[in-house]
Amino acid sequence: MTGYVSAAYAVFVVVLAWDYIAPRVKLARVRRAIALRIRREAATKP
Amino acid sequence: MTRTSVLSRIILWFNQTGSPPNFDRFAARWTPWAFGFAVVAMAVGAWGALATVPADYQQGENFRILYIHVPCAWMSLFVFVAMAIQAFIALVWRIKACEILAMACAPIGAAFTLVTLVTGSIWGKPTWGTWWTWDPRLTSELVLLFLYVGVIGLNNAIEDRRAAARAASFLALVGVINVPIVHFAVQWWNTLHQGETVRLIGPSKLDSSMLWPLIAMTLGTKAWFVGSLLQRARAANLENEAPKDWARAAVEASA
Repeated sequence: MTGYVSAAYAVFVVVLAWDYIAPRVKLARVRRAIALRIRREAATKP
Repeated sequence: MTRTSVLSRIILWFNQTGSPPNFDRFAARWTPWAFGFAVVAMAVGAWGALATVPADYQQGENFRILYIHVPCAWMSLFVFVAMAIQAFIALVWRIKACEILAMACAPIGAAFTLVTLVTGSIWGKPTWGTWWTWDPRLTSELVLLFLYVGVIGLNNAIEDRRAAARAASFLALVGVINVPIVHFAVQWWNTLHQGETVRLIGPSKLDSSMLWPLIAMTLGTKAWFVGSLLQRARAANLENEAPKDWARAAVEASA
């Protein structure tokens, strides 16, 4: 396997890894924001 | 079962799955399966491409790059068409789920287009002697990347989520004209880029012993698109629906 082949497959893996991780991070952030809002509303309820 | 009742069942299924809480459950259920299939298919394809297929008699070892370059190039076009279809439905029938799905397509398509351009460039250096040339196929593929970036940018530039999705959907619809230009560039113009090697209809120029890893990688990238689309659309759906009771209940249930 040449350096060119290794570099090309590395690019493929890195880009797909980003494509997998980025929405998971976003989903976790949205879930945290919703959970925080629920806790805040529960704390301010009389 | 009559044809009408089958059609009405399909429409009913789409309507039910398109509702935000149902879509969240649907995406949560099928995302791991799609990614699982994609990883297995691509691992098998990569093993075939790197370990079992013989080196090409002209290009040598570097021809193995084509096993990722070609499926990604196909996906760059396929995803744009999928995005344009969703965008059309979103614009005409104002279906919220289609707006979300269309916008979720853009970063995935951009990722596949970026891989296509970079791996093509890496293959081009030892084969053509240059990293880049303003060849019609390469240039139109670069324009495709700019169109994806434009859709993403426009969708993020407008605060009102629905207005943003509609504006970006319009750009996706206009931009789909570039898809046949990319595909037929090698036939319409005198290009450095090689013509079609693998055909859906008719004989392929690739020997059958070299074909199966390409099929595995193609199936893998298709399944990856499904997994990534569901995952991205699920995140966008939950973000849009954050104040709703079902979203709060879903977060509380998983906490």
